[in-house]
Formats: sequence, C-alpha cells, structure tokens
Amino acid sequence: MHGAGGPAGAALFGASAIWVATALFVLTYAVIMSDKLNRAIVALLGAGLLILTGIVDQKEAMAAVDWNTLGLLLGMMLIVNITRRSGLFQYVAIWSAKKVDASPWGIMLMMSIVTAVFSAFLDNVTTVLLTVPVTMLITEELKVKPYPYLFAQIFASNIGGTATLIGDPPNIMIGSATGLTFNDFAIHLTPVIIVVMAATMVPLYFVWGRHLHATDENRRHVMAFDERQAITDRRLLKQSLTVIAFVIAGFMLQRQTGIEPATVAIFGAAVLLLLDNLGKDSETQSKNVHGALSEAEWITLMFFLGLFILVFGIQKAGLIDMLAHALVTATSGNFQVTALAILWASAVLSAFIDNIPFVATMIPLIKAMAPTFGGDAALVPLWWALSLGACLGGNGTLIGASANLVVAGLAERAGTSFRFVEYLKVAFPLMLLSIVLSHVYLQLRYL
Amino acid sequence: MTALAICQTPFPALKDSDTVGDAARRMLEIAVWDLPVVDAAGRLIGMFKLTHLLGTLLPKAATIGGISDLAFVGDTLDYLRDRMRAVEDEPIRAYVAEADHVVHPETSPMEVALLLYRGERAVPVVDAGDHRLIGMVAAREVVGALLAKGGR
Repeated sequence: MHGAGGPAGAALFGASAIWVATALFVLTYAVIMSDKLNRAIVALLGAGLLILTGIVDQKEAMAAVDWNTLGLLLGMMLIVNITRRSGLFQYVAIWSAKKVDASPWGIMLMMSIVTAVFSAFLDNVTTVLLTVPVTMLITEELKVKPYPYLFAQIFASNIGGTATLIGDPPNIMIGSATGLTFNDFAIHLTPVIIVVMAATMVPLYFVWGRHLHATDENRRHVMAFDERQAITDRRLLKQSLTVIAFVIAGFMLQRQTGIEPATVAIFGAAVLLLLDNLGKDSETQSKNVHGALSEAEWITLMFFLGLFILVFGIQKAGLIDMLAHALVTATSGNFQVTALAILWASAVLSAFIDNIPFVATMIPLIKAMAPTFGGDAALVPLWWALSLGACLGGNGTLIGASANLVVAGLAERAGTSFRFVEYLKVAFPLMLLSIVLSHVYLQLRYL
Repeated sequence: MTALAICQTPFPALKDSDTVGDAARRMLEIAVWDLPVVDAAGRLIGMFKLTHLLGTLLPKAATIGGISDLAFVGDTLDYLRDRMRAVEDEPIRAYVAEADHVVHPETSPMEVALLLYRGERAVPVVDAGDHRLIGMVAAREVVGALLAKGGR
C-alpha cells in the first residue's frame, strides 16, 4: 500500500475529512459484515464515495491500489483453474486415502495434510472446493459421517494457508506491503504452522478420530478407486506441474531476482495459457482463455480493489496514525505487549469478521508504529503476529473465513448440516490452542 | 393455433404415491423421460424425471460440483443397482421436482417452441386458474402440428 500524503484538506458540508472518511469506512465495513450486500459492491461503492467526496483524488485512488496483491491473486487463480482440469488434485486426494488402506482415521489425517499442503500454495477456498467433494465421496463409500472430516479440512485449509506468502490473502497483503518474501514467510511461519497442524490433529483424534469405524467391505470400495483414472489430461498435467515448479522457484528467488511475486504468477499463468492453447484454432483458444479468465474470483479481486482505496482514505485523513498512537499508548510502547496484543486481538476479531479488511486496516496501522519501535526492520515480529492471528483466527467460527462457509455450503447441499454453535463448541477452543502455540512461538523466537 | 391445439391430451400422469420402480417401468414402457405428477384432483404437483432419478442414485458428492468425472470409481454398475434397489419401493413424492416451466392452453406455439429449444423435453399444459393438468407438449407435437396437412 502506498504512503498517505498527510491529512486531507478536503471537507464536506463543513465536516472535517477525518470524520467523513471514518464515517464512510465504518459504514462500509458495517454493511460488509451484515452480509446484506455483496462485499465487492460495497467496497467499490465506498471507494467511489471517497473519491466523489474529495477525500481521495482519482490519481491517489489508483496509486492506493496494491497491484502486487491483485496480480498475485489473479495469477494464482488462473494457474489453479487451468491445472484443476488435469485431475491432479483428485489424484492426490485418492492416492492419499489409499496410502492409509482407507482407514477412517487415517483418511481424516491424510486429507487434512493434503488440504494443508495444497492450501499453503493455493487459495483456501480453491483448496476446499477441490478436496472436499472427494472427501465426501470417500466418506459416502465408507459409510461414515462426513462432518468430522470436513471440520478437519476447514482447520487444515486455514492452518496450511498461514504457512506461506501465497497461502492466504492476508499474507499476500502483508508480503506486498512490507517486502517480506516467500522465503521469509516459509522460514518464519512454516515451522510453527507444522506444530499447530500436528497439535490440532491430537484433539480431533480424541473427539472424533478414535470413534470412526468402517467395515472391511466399505474400505475395499475405496481401495478399488483407481487414482490414475482421475487424471483426465496428462499433457496438461505435465505442463501445469512444470509451470507451478517454475513459479514457486520464482517466488523463492524473489530477493535475488528482484521480481515481485505478482509478476511471477501472472507470467506463469500466461505461459500455462500459451502451452494449453498451442496448436488449437482461434475459436478454441478464445473459449479456453475466456473460460480460464471467467473462473477467476472477480468478486474477491474487486473487493480488494475497493478496500485498498477505502483504507487509504482513512490513512490520508489521519485516522490510522491516531489509532496507531492509541495502540502504542495502550501497550505503553512495550514491543512485546504490542506483538501479543496484535496476535490475540487479530485472532479473536478474525473469528467474527472478515480477516481481509481487518488486515488491510492493520497494515498501515502497524507501519505507523515504526518510529516508536526503531524503524521498519524492527516491526517484522509484528507482521508474523498479525499473520498468525488473522489467518488462524478464521478457524474460530463458521463465519471466520470464506473457506469455512464454502465447506458448510457444500456439506448442506449433500445433506450434512453445519450449525454455527455446534461448530463453535469445538472450533473456538481449537483455534485458541493454535493461538497459544503461536504466542509461545513468538515469545521464544522474537520477543 | 394455441398450446391447447397442439398438446397431447389426455396425457399419462403419475400419482405421488406411486413407487419409484412402478413409475420408472411405466416410463420405459411408453418411452418418455419425464412424466407429470398430479394430486387426487388432477392438479399438477411437479415432474418425475428419469435424469433426476439418476442424480439421486449417484454419490451425493458427485452432484454438488467439484468432481469432474467418476472414472476412478470401480464397480459402478453394482453400486447403481444397489442404490436403485434401495429406492424402488419408495413413493415418488420425494423425487418430484417442481416443473421448470408450465404453459397455459392459450399460450402461443412460438412460446412453447422457445421453451423446447432451450432444453425442455416436454412442457406441461395446465389450466391457468386451478393448475389442473390438461396435457403435455413436446417437440414432436409442435413439429407434427406444423407439418399437418391442411395447416397453414
């Protein structure tokens, strides 16, 4: 996100810019949280009103949009949408279920691990859309309740997504705003995420895993699945895997090459589109490219676009500086207390509100603390606290993250109900466990 | 010409208490994919469709999206037979889908042709007032009426 140029001079009907910007910001967030209107519509309307009221001019609005975040998201969406046609994700899911001889607990463990690993490299929602239907098919064959499996996959997707720069939108935003690289995220977050993932599976075993049973005959049905048949396009599979390998290498070499992840992802998507369309007639090419582009999550991308302008509005009006000052005062300027406050507050808030707007607001707020804590470099632990809190906090309630709602929606369509309170009873304590582990990790490693 | 003039009437219909097995066998006998389901007063309740029945026999996970094909699942014929046996004695009421479109006796053939062109296999013709089933119209009725001698 770009720096604000100072308090806005604009005023509307005699009201100062800070009040108008704050009112618009709060109103927009309230409508987003109410779920009465599509969030992309609300964010774009809020951003438009900021420009129309003169708080942000058009040039500033364009500069406020973090194109790195949007480019990275779009590039990865395109790569995943093309790759999924190869059947790769179904192959891995079935292969992993068979590796544990179709034992109910083994499948729960393996599907959770597969979900977490996919989620570390793909968007969480995409991950659950790819893996949950296979899990439901397997549980149907095993004649076991799908709920524990889907619950575990929700957790795995949010935990796995925290592990890397590209796993979850908050991390993409943090990485883009701070210059922290793919490797930085892998070095600083992946270790604690492995611990959190392992620790989460222990209570899940005692709550559900040890009670899961399937007959030998039903297990044989699953073992009869032929994962090789899941691969529907071997040529595309090879192309996709090659491009994904180069893209991840590009992320890892960001510091050496100076090339932003957005460029790597968009270029990778373009190369994959090229390989997928080589030798095809122009009509087929148009159809393929149109299909790949139309399947991108445009709602998410437009939501981000509006959000960046909204946050810039309150930043320019001076609200972010005021909040940062208030937070530093509340923690008495103590770095350790500030980091842990960010971790816990992010976790609890992200369990109930969308973590994307929350993180979008927190980024400039934390940046504004740089003078207090000795410069940008000193802030790094705060970014890890924000990432861990915002990403893991989403597990706390059914509305805490988009992936949770997507899984609940898929389950409902197949006749399995996901109730808010039922989910909360197990999920919130488990989420707190992950935050306690993160607290210990931050304390031991950075504070 | 109106929908009434070209529809097949009277048309065989099912009762919601008929069993899935009986309904499906009857449809195979008279070579139709969809049959209307009516209540005791002859009012249209919905449609019983063989394709919809197949959907209920498939694993639920396959019908919610996300699984592009089921080539990797083995022994599918036995699986489907088992599922069919499990549901064939059930009344069809749980399998009745609301009719996507209905037309009325006075609806124009152009409107009927458009619905059929857009993918409907057969459209129920119902009374506009009491929703009583009057007949069904499929592409063959429309084309047959257009080719009939004496027509203009």
